[in-house]
Amino acid sequence: MGRAYTWDNASDCWERTPMATESDSISAPAHRPVTRACVRELERVLGHERVLSTPEQLIAYEYDGTIERGVPQAVVFPESTEHVAAAVRVAHRFGVPVIPRGAGTGLSGGAIAAVGGVVVALTRMKRVIEVDPVNRIAIVEPGVVNLDLSRAVARHNLYYAPDPSSQRACTIGGNVAENAGGPHCLAYGATTNHVLGMEIVLADGEVTWIGGRSRDVPGYDLTGAFVGSEGTLAIATKIAVRLMALPESTRTLLAIFNTVDDASNAVSAIMAAGILPSALEMMDRNIIAAVEPVLHAGFPLDAEAVLLIEVDGLDESTVEHAEEIRAICEQHAAREVRVAVAQVDRDLLWAGRKTSISALGRLYPNYYVLDGVVPRTRLPDVLRQTYAIAEKYGLDVANVFHAGDGNLHPNLLFDEREPGVKERVLRAGAEIMRLCVDAGGSITGEHGVGLEKRDYIAWIFDDADLAVMARLKTAFKAGDEYNPCKAFPTGKGCGEVTQVQIQRLAGQIGTDVYV
Amino acid sequence: MSSAAAMPSLDQFIAAVRPSLEPDAVSAAYADGFAVDGVTPEIVVAPGSLEQLQTVLSEAREARLAAIAIGGGTHLGVGNAPAAYDVAISTARLDSTFEHEPADLTVTVDAGTRLADVQARLAADGQTLPLDPPCGGDATIGGVLASNAHGPLRHAYGTARDWLIGIRVVHADGTTSKSGGRVVKNVAGYDMHKLYVGSLGTLGVITQATFKLAPLPRAQTTAAVAFGTARDAAAFVMTARDAGLAIHAAELLSPPAAEAVMNDARWIVLARVAGGPAGVDRSMSELGRLAAQAGAGIDDGDGTAAWQRWSLAFRPGVLSLRVSVMPSAVAETMEVLDRGFAGAAAQMSATATAGVIRINLEPSHEDRAAALVVRAQDVAARAGGTLAIDAAPRALKRAIDVFGPLRSDFAIMRRLKEQLDPQGVLSPGRFAGRL
Repeated sequence: MGRAYTWDNASDCWERTPMATESDSISAPAHRPVTRACVRELERVLGHERVLSTPEQLIAYEYDGTIERGVPQAVVFPESTEHVAAAVRVAHRFGVPVIPRGAGTGLSGGAIAAVGGVVVALTRMKRVIEVDPVNRIAIVEPGVVNLDLSRAVARHNLYYAPDPSSQRACTIGGNVAENAGGPHCLAYGATTNHVLGMEIVLADGEVTWIGGRSRDVPGYDLTGAFVGSEGTLAIATKIAVRLMALPESTRTLLAIFNTVDDASNAVSAIMAAGILPSALEMMDRNIIAAVEPVLHAGFPLDAEAVLLIEVDGLDESTVEHAEEIRAICEQHAAREVRVAVAQVDRDLLWAGRKTSISALGRLYPNYYVLDGVVPRTRLPDVLRQTYAIAEKYGLDVANVFHAGDGNLHPNLLFDEREPGVKERVLRAGAEIMRLCVDAGGSITGEHGVGLEKRDYIAWIFDDADLAVMARLKTAFKAGDEYNPCKAFPTGKGCGEVTQVQIQRLAGQIGTDVYV
Repeated sequence: MSSAAAMPSLDQFIAAVRPSLEPDAVSAAYADGFAVDGVTPEIVVAPGSLEQLQTVLSEAREARLAAIAIGGGTHLGVGNAPAAYDVAISTARLDSTFEHEPADLTVTVDAGTRLADVQARLAADGQTLPLDPPCGGDATIGGVLASNAHGPLRHAYGTARDWLIGIRVVHADGTTSKSGGRVVKNVAGYDMHKLYVGSLGTLGVITQATFKLAPLPRAQTTAAVAFGTARDAAAFVMTARDAGLAIHAAELLSPPAAEAVMNDARWIVLARVAGGPAGVDRSMSELGRLAAQAGAGIDDGDGTAAWQRWSLAFRPGVLSLRVSVMPSAVAETMEVLDRGFAGAAAQMSATATAGVIRINLEPSHEDRAAALVVRAQDVAARAGGTLAIDAAPRALKRAIDVFGPLRSDFAIMRRLKEQLDPQGVLSPGRFAGRL
C-alpha cells in the first residue's frame, strides 16, 4: 500500500515511485512536490534542527495507526505559534500540501502524507501554558499528551475527561482534529464538549483565536465547527479546555453473559432505567479468547459477551446505581456480576478492556479496526450481521466497543502475508460500514473519516450537504493543500492504491444517500 | 425598514409562492405580530413543508427580499435591529415530525415544534432535553436553537450545542443541507450544526433537529439559602460545586431579583438538587452543613413555584443584558453592577459556575438605557468578560452593535456569511458586526 520517494535531479524534487503491484491506474498528481528550494526556505525560517528532509528520516513519518502509508517530502518541528505560522507561510508560497501531525496514533489515516508535502509535527509544542483550577480551565499547546494533561491538573483534584484508548500517547491537538472520544464520553461527551477556544494558524499563515475561555464569546461557534475538522481547516496552536472534578467515588462492574443478545439487551435496559453510566463497554468471545490467556482475569472462555460498566459521583449515588445495574444485568441472565471499588480492583477489571487490542496480536499478526455507530437498540442485530459478513469473507472478527453509545469497533483479523487477504478485509470493512449506515448510524464515531473512509461519506451526506461543508473550508481560507485527500471525497490526485480499491468498493456496495 | 408599500418585487414574490402554499399560508393581516425591533414585515408566510420553505426562500432571493424566520417570537429581541425585513417566515406549521427513540435517548423534531410540547412528550418516557430558557410556553425548537437560549440547567448540562447531534437547514438559495445524524456519537463531516446555534437564522432556516436526551432525575428538591453579600453567596455555590454535590441548577439572585422570586431582598442562592434519592439526600445534608458554616439558613421544598417565578422574572424584557465573565469574577461583577444600577430596578441572576449573569432592567426612560448599557459594558470589559444584549429599546439598538466589539475571528464569520448567504436574504444586519 506504500510508495517510496527518490530524489529526481532533473525536476529538483522527490519523485514518487509506486510500490504496489496492483494494476489500478493512479490519477495524475495534482499537488506540487516539495522542491529543494522549499526545503531550504523551511530551514531558513525554522533552523536546520527543526526540518527533516532525507528519505531515511522521512520514512519514520509515513504511517499512523492505519494500514495506509504515504511518505512526506519534509517534516518540520515547530516549537511556537510563530514557527507554525512561518512554516505554513512557506508551504503556502510554494503551493505544497501541509499535513498537521500529533502523535501519529490516529486510526483513519488523518496524519498520512497522502500526496507528499510538509508534515507539521506538533510534538515539541507540549507546554501546559496555564491551569486555572477555580475556573476549571487549562490552556495547552497541541502537542500535550492527553494523559499528561490529566496528570498535570490532578493535584487540583481535576482531570481532562475525553479518554481515547491511546491517551498515553495521543495529543490534545490530534484529539481536537478528530473530535476524539473514549469510553467515558458516554456521560461526559467527546472532545467537542470540552474545548472552549483555540489559537489557530490559517493556511496563509494568519494567526487568530476562535472561541475563548468561555462559551459566551459573541459570534458563530467556530470552535464547534473546527473540532473534528481533521486538520483540513487550520492548525490549532493553543487550546483552551474545560477541566472536570475527579469524582468522589467510582464503581466498576463486570457482567458476564452467555449470549451477545442478553448483553445488548442489558445495555438498553440500563439506559432505559434512567441511569447514565460514565462508561458502558462490551467485549465479545474473540476478545475474551485473546485476553484471558494473557491476563488470567477469570473470563470464562465459553462466555459470548462481557460488559464493563462504570458509575461515578457521590459515594451514595454510585452504591445506588451499581446495585441497580447489577439487578438489571441479573434480570438479563448475566451469569456473573463483579463489582470493584478500590482502584487496584477496578484496574484489574479494566485491564481486559485496555489490553484487548494488543492481545489480538496473539491470534493474528494484523488487525483492521473499524469504527461505526448505530442506534444502541440496533446493536444485537448489527453485531449478528457483522459476524455474518466476516464469515462470508473467511475472516475472524473480534468486537470490543462502546456499547452505551452504539459505537462499534469490529476488529478484522488477518495475516497480510496471505495473498489477496487485504482485498477481502477492505471489502468486509466496507460492508460493515454500510451495515451501520443502513441501521441509521454513521461511518465513524470517534476515529474520523480521514483517508480511509472518504468515499463512504456519500452514504450519509449528499452533494448539497458536502457543498455547504466546502463553503466552511472557504471561510477558513483553507484550500486543497491543507491536509489534502482527507475527510471528503474531493481533491485531485488523491488516487492512492488503497483508495482506488475503496472507491470501487463504495461504488459496488452502494452510492445512494441515506437520509 | 421595510421597503416601499407597493413593491413590484413583493407582488412578484407573492404570486410565485402562493400556488405552492396552503391558501391561508400567505397573509399580511398578522404582520404586526411578527415585528422585530419595531420593523414590521410586509407579508407573513407559513410554509408547511421543507419543499414549501425551499420555494419561499428561493423566491425571496429572486425578488431580492429580506426574510426572517420566526418561531414562538419569545427571543426576537436578541441581536441587532434588522437592516431590512420584508417577509416573515413563520415556522409554526413545520411541526409534524416527532421521532422519539426512548431506548436510544434521542429525539428528532421539526423546528416549529414548541419546546414545552417536546418536554411534555419526553417526560412521559422519563426523559428530557435539558434546556430551560426563560421564555414561557411559546418558544419553539428552532427559535431556541437560533437564539441559543438557555436557563439555569446550564450549570449541569451546558447549552444547546452540547445536546444537538444533527440538523436540517434550508439556505438562502433554497437548497437544503444537513449535518450530524441521529446517533449520539458521530464525527463524519464538519459539525455544521454547531454554527447554526445562536446564528439568529443568518446562515439558514433550521427545519429539523435531532438531540440526545438526558434521563429525568428520579428525585429532586430545591434549596434556597440567603446571604448578606454576593461574595458569600458565590463562595457557597463554588464550595458546593467543588464538593461534587448532585446539583442541576444553582442561580445566584441579587436582592431585587430575590425579592421578586423569593420575597426576600437578600443575596439568595436557589439550587435544584436532583438525581437518585440517595444522592439527593446526601447533597441536601451537605448543603445544610455548608450553609450553617456560612451562618446562613436553608429552606428546602418542592421549588416548582420558585422556579416558575424565576422564569417569569428573567424573560427578555425592556432591557435585558447578559454579562459573561469567569466564574471567579461573578461575585465582584454582580456587586459592582448592583451599585451601578441603583434606581433602575435591576434584577440579576447568575449561573455562577458558568460565569453568566442575566440582568433585567426597567429604565425610567430610553435615554437612561444607553447609559446603563455603557456602564454594564465597562464593568464586563474590566472583568475580562463580554456583554450581550438580549433585548433593548429600538433607538438604543440602532446606535450600537449589541454583540459588542468585534474580535479577530470576525473575518472568518464574515466570509462564512458571504459563502452561505451572499445576497443577505436571511435576517440581514441582525448578527455580530451587522452581518
